[in-house]
Amino acid sequence: MSNSGQQPTRSDEPIWWALFSAGGVCFAVVIPGAILAVGVLYPLGLIPGEMLGFERIRHLLFESFLGFAGFIFVGVAICLPLFHAFHRIRHGLHDLQWAHGWAAKSACYCSATLLSVIALGLWVAAH
Amino acid sequence: MTSRNIGIMRYNPEQDKKPHTESYQVEADDNTSVLDALQQVQQQDPSLSFRWSCRMAICGSCGVMVNSVPKLGCQTFLRDYPDSLVISPLSNFAVEKDLIVDMEPFLEHLSAIKPWLINSEQSTVPHVQTPQQLARYQQFANCINCGLCYSACPQFGLNPEFRGPAALALAHRYNLDSRDLGKAERMPQLNAKDGVWTCTFVGFCSEVCPKKVDPAAAINQGKVESAKDMILSVFKSSGVR
Amino acid sequence: MPSHNNSRRPYLPAFRRDWWLQLRFYQLYMLREATVLPLLFFISCLIYGLYSLSQGESQWLKWLDFMARPWVVALNVLTLAASLFHAKTFFELFPRVMPLAPPSLMIAVQWLATVVVAGGFVVLLGAWV
Repeated sequence: MSNSGQQPTRSDEPIWWALFSAGGVCFAVVIPGAILAVGVLYPLGLIPGEMLGFERIRHLLFESFLGFAGFIFVGVAICLPLFHAFHRIRHGLHDLQWAHGWAAKSACYCSATLLSVIALGLWVAAH
Repeated sequence: MTSRNIGIMRYNPEQDKKPHTESYQVEADDNTSVLDALQQVQQQDPSLSFRWSCRMAICGSCGVMVNSVPKLGCQTFLRDYPDSLVISPLSNFAVEKDLIVDMEPFLEHLSAIKPWLINSEQSTVPHVQTPQQLARYQQFANCINCGLCYSACPQFGLNPEFRGPAALALAHRYNLDSRDLGKAERMPQLNAKDGVWTCTFVGFCSEVCPKKVDPAAAINQGKVESAKDMILSVFKSSGVR
Repeated sequence: MPSHNNSRRPYLPAFRRDWWLQLRFYQLYMLREATVLPLLFFISCLIYGLYSLSQGESQWLKWLDFMARPWVVALNVLTLAASLFHAKTFFELFPRVMPLAPPSLMIAVQWLATVVVAGGFVVLLGAWV
């Protein structure tokens, strides 16, 4: 029979791939609109500054959707895209033969986790 | 018929340190294939080695790189390369002589995922399959094992332990077959780092596939299956205890 | 066949570091992967914005000024292009990973989602409505 070797161990990649995929959807569906509004239309004067006023944005992020609008925004515009980005960076480092293996992998996902925690922390702190 | 120049990568393991390109004159018209041209060159120089058999894109023997892109020699025509044409052995495999590569690593990956119907059920009744059940896997069943997808895959080039496009596409093909009961035996290979998870969906494998198998789609559907398998394993192990 | 193989000397060249420059298909793959670099810039802008929001109104106004600086706008226009290129590739790959409906329908629905979300942002922040 085919007892020629041990069964290979299960990869933990499904976890990272799921986060990467979810982040990819956000990058494709949410990010274009966000950049268009905040990064392009506002600086060009097509969205007036008062619509991005301090009190108005605080209200939008901390009071609408039972106060969870900001949490959802941080999730779909920051945290998930971060995991998407660092997953691609990790595989890109391997593709370019710059770095691979455990160290590169941990550095990438730790960065994504750390920046996500900072973003969520700021959401809490800004209340 | 007009005379034209083609380049062929030559390597004689008994004399050469490494492969080099030599140029040859061949007579070509609109119907001259790369395989035809190689056979002409072999008339001039019988030492030229290459594999071929059916001349109709079904045996999968005559895979070569044509201007750095994996192609079947019988299905590729000189008319499509008016400027220059260089034929070299399939990338990512070790060259044995001239255009002949060692396909052994590919065949090992192929057999590791058990690409055959696994069903120990003893029965004299034929396994009936509806057209819908056939349609689920039919596209992935057209593979002719030519290996072009391995030469197209940078992940296989970077990591030769990667099971690779054709093997993983065939694993998916048998997993989708209603007559097959071998999915549990194949999943550990797919779930491994060198299984579906080395793939980054470059997608060039599907681009070069002469049979439009779309191995990249099969591998990425395999990732969905592997992710489901992981969730199931968590439930199973927590349920037993 | 273990024996009489003495003349075998298989030649396997090292895999090229610049493999991705060799074919246009590979270049487009690397471009797709590289779309995350400008994305990281925009995410940094957002985190900086959240920080500014937590620091009070004067810092928030500084962030608004920052977002209007020409080099920031230029990078964000690049990021917008990158996100649209990513969207195109992502939407085309998705029906092959999960064939739930005819590919052209799935691609159209995904673009519709992007347009609806962009419209939502503009309506939410725009003064024209």
